[in-house]
Amino acid sequence: MKDIDKLQKRSRKLRNLTERVGSTSLAIAGLIGLLFLGVLIWQIAEPTFIKGEQGEITAVSEWIPESDYRFEWDFPNIDENGNLTGDPVVIRFEWDDENGSHSHDVQINVIQTRQIKTDIYIDSNGVDQTEIDVGRKTKFYAYSTLSVPVTVEQISGPVPNADDTGYPSVNTFVISGDVHVLWDDENEQVFQTLELLAWTTLLILIIVFTWPHETVISLLSKIESYKKLVRGVFYILAALTLSLSFEFSDKADILELENYLPTLDAALGALCWAMCGTILYRLLEGIERLKNLKREIHETSRLKHSISNRDGILMWSRMLLFTSTIFIPLLIDIPFLTERYQDIFVPYASGIRAAFYGTIWVMLIAMVVSIPISVGAAIYLEEYAKPNRITKLIQALVTNLAGVPSIVFGMFGLAIFVKQGGIGWGLGPSVLAAGLTMGVMAMPIIVLGGQEALRSVPRSVRESAYGIGCTRWQVTKDHVLPSAMPGIMTGTILAMSRIMGEAAPLVVVGATAMILFDPEPLAALNGGNLNFTVIPIQIYFWTAEPDHAWHSMAAAASITLICLLIAMNSIAIVLRQHFRKRLKS
Amino acid sequence: MSEKIGGEVVPDSTKKLDVNGEIDLMIEDLDLWYGDKQALYGVSLPIAKNSVTALIGPSGCGKSTLLRMMNRMNDLISICHYDGKISMGDTEITAKDADLVEIRKNIGMVFQRPNPFPKSIYDNVGYGVKLHTKPTREELDAIIEKSLKRAAIWDEVSDRMHDLGTSLSGGQQQRLCIARTIAVEPDIILMDEPCSALDPIATAAIEELILELKKDFTVVIVTHSMSQAARVSDYTGFMYLGRLVEFGETDKIFSDPDLELTKRYITGRFG
Ligand SMILES: Nc1ncnc2c1ncn2[C@@H]1O[C@H](COP(=O)(O)OP(=O)(O)OP(=O)(O)O)[C@@H](O)[C@H]1O
Ligand SMILES: [Mg+2]
Repeated sequence: MKDIDKLQKRSRKLRNLTERVGSTSLAIAGLIGLLFLGVLIWQIAEPTFIKGEQGEITAVSEWIPESDYRFEWDFPNIDENGNLTGDPVVIRFEWDDENGSHSHDVQINVIQTRQIKTDIYIDSNGVDQTEIDVGRKTKFYAYSTLSVPVTVEQISGPVPNADDTGYPSVNTFVISGDVHVLWDDENEQVFQTLELLAWTTLLILIIVFTWPHETVISLLSKIESYKKLVRGVFYILAALTLSLSFEFSDKADILELENYLPTLDAALGALCWAMCGTILYRLLEGIERLKNLKREIHETSRLKHSISNRDGILMWSRMLLFTSTIFIPLLIDIPFLTERYQDIFVPYASGIRAAFYGTIWVMLIAMVVSIPISVGAAIYLEEYAKPNRITKLIQALVTNLAGVPSIVFGMFGLAIFVKQGGIGWGLGPSVLAAGLTMGVMAMPIIVLGGQEALRSVPRSVRESAYGIGCTRWQVTKDHVLPSAMPGIMTGTILAMSRIMGEAAPLVVVGATAMILFDPEPLAALNGGNLNFTVIPIQIYFWTAEPDHAWHSMAAAASITLICLLIAMNSIAIVLRQHFRKRLKS
Repeated sequence: MSEKIGGEVVPDSTKKLDVNGEIDLMIEDLDLWYGDKQALYGVSLPIAKNSVTALIGPSGCGKSTLLRMMNRMNDLISICHYDGKISMGDTEITAKDADLVEIRKNIGMVFQRPNPFPKSIYDNVGYGVKLHTKPTREELDAIIEKSLKRAAIWDEVSDRMHDLGTSLSGGQQQRLCIARTIAVEPDIILMDEPCSALDPIATAAIEELILELKKDFTVVIVTHSMSQAARVSDYTGFMYLGRLVEFGETDKIFSDPDLELTKRYITGRFG
């Protein structure tokens, strides 16, 4: 008897402990989420600029035609020791306005220091700098508040001589002269005001929700019967914010993320409005319920309690985690990741921009290829296929494929996608071939995971749907798939994170060791530059260098890879939670 | 052909069975196997229109199997195959090329465990309606309201139509499932132990509901509660070891059954 008492006591202790650890870690997660949200709000609240039709800087350049915002040329005045020689670069800004023509020269000194950021502001008084220092491979921005076109021209310094293979013989020097227009057009003013307003409203609502005050609650209870209307208004505002931002220059490269930044900004604003609408709706609904229960609406202590107890905190942290999971990827701005290419001379000035984008493109292509096919196959095998010999054979093949070493998939990719002639598609050692190979590798894993998820859907779900006369497809689409979704998602994301860390197949497919430009995803089709690399390959090559400094860089890249993997897995967890919650009461 | 079951000679199970009034569904000489194991032996049973037919019998005797055969729900089990004929008017339900969707629309089913869809109450009822007809918003609202009223749950849910169906209590969920079934206007409603997961009050509510439903629908109910069978049904079939050993009007079965076996089961002196 005594022993049992002891055991019970211990298990109770353990339970309390896990409870406490669980809620504490959730609270911490929530705090982290809050931090990210803070960063988000700060980023938004900072004056945001968007590209406008007017006031563009036009590149006067023979060497790179039709590129409005980006100048890219070889920088030949580096001697073999990496020291700079020759004339400095001078850029001339010219424009005409009602006061006549203006012409301003800005000298650009390239200095060896790693990272310097300088901006140029142009307004009716002229250009605010005559000389700027930039680090090698550093972006600088030119902001114009003028309503007339500005031309920019290089008038001195080494003339670029990029050959048309796009493969630079010497270091590439990039000046990315994005034109940002400050509040130049009414439309944009409206949209930015809307966006700021959205954030403010959300903040106010969160405050009201967290510290409900009697007067505010009784005010709100007056509009309680219009709750649907209120929500509708907020949704319309969301749509408005989003729609006002759709303005792309027709020359914009659709694959450049930066061209979508205004829309992403607006999407955030729209999301805010939608969230405001939902929160307000819920609040009004809660008030209505309190009223229906014949309770005093002034009894805000109940509301307070339901927000501040453990469930309330859980709800908040979940919401924050969810928001931050969606938006953190958009906010990544780490030079090592997104700005710096590999520097052949200076290890510590290197970054993994090329490999990072390579990885993203390979993953995206692999996803697009593998997810629809594999989920379809899983549905077919689980829901449609008759259990005959052929099905059994296919099943056995798929199961075995999941265990095949990844290098074999690399050979497969080499034979089918890379090589020309025979069964080969002749895509060359390109991002597309790599993505397809990785997609094929992910397929058996996704199929098996999907089947497992579909199999674990209880029979009652199928029966209830068949019972009212659904066709097989309706049962699958409306009932089985939604229940199996968490499992399918998890399987998919796990498969993706597995192929993200794979180097072996891509060594066979032909990833390159050193790349000084962004990979082009569709190069194999439109005849662009095929070369690409991914993070694991970059790590592999860096560790092979004799200099220890490169090993540190490899370590940094490894950490990046691990962070990416953790991020993928947390997305899997959040998605699973989300879908599960929708299914449960 | 007579057989000896449970220490008693049972009359020929294929003998002509009769009910008063119109016959809605006719089962003739149905044999059914799960793999090699036979679960139904030559079952014949008429289901009278606008009546309640109860199926009783010890656990594992094949009641659910027979019930699930009536709307071909057993087709979901791959190892199940059968021989025999079930017909509803001119349509032969057991035909190879039968339209299963149409059959299951006409013969709805309520399961032992309440299993509402993980959707709102509104969508739970509306989903099936939208599948089969293309109603306008107003028509749909009207059908949903009517179905919920007929299932005697309208008063409890009318102000929370957009809450999840799974957030209701067990008894409410079961009535929601009934509303979902009657919303598509079936001819027959099959119920497999609809009250086994419910408390006495919810059970009473459902029983009352069944008596109400009888006016518009034909109901077949499987139950383990003798008193329930006696209260709600017009006809009762007693099954034993995969055979329908006795069938007749409920009053007759419960007061003066033909077989000693039936009597022993009904009075609880069994096995
Ligand atoms: N999916 C199945 N696979 C194999 N055998 C089955 C299956 N379902 C039922 N059986 C068998 O068929 C026989 C009849 O089962 P059924 O479910 O119809 O019984 P029941 O009368 O409804 O019992 P209960 O009152 O316990 O629900 C049982 O012997 C059972 O083992
Ligand atoms: Mg049963």
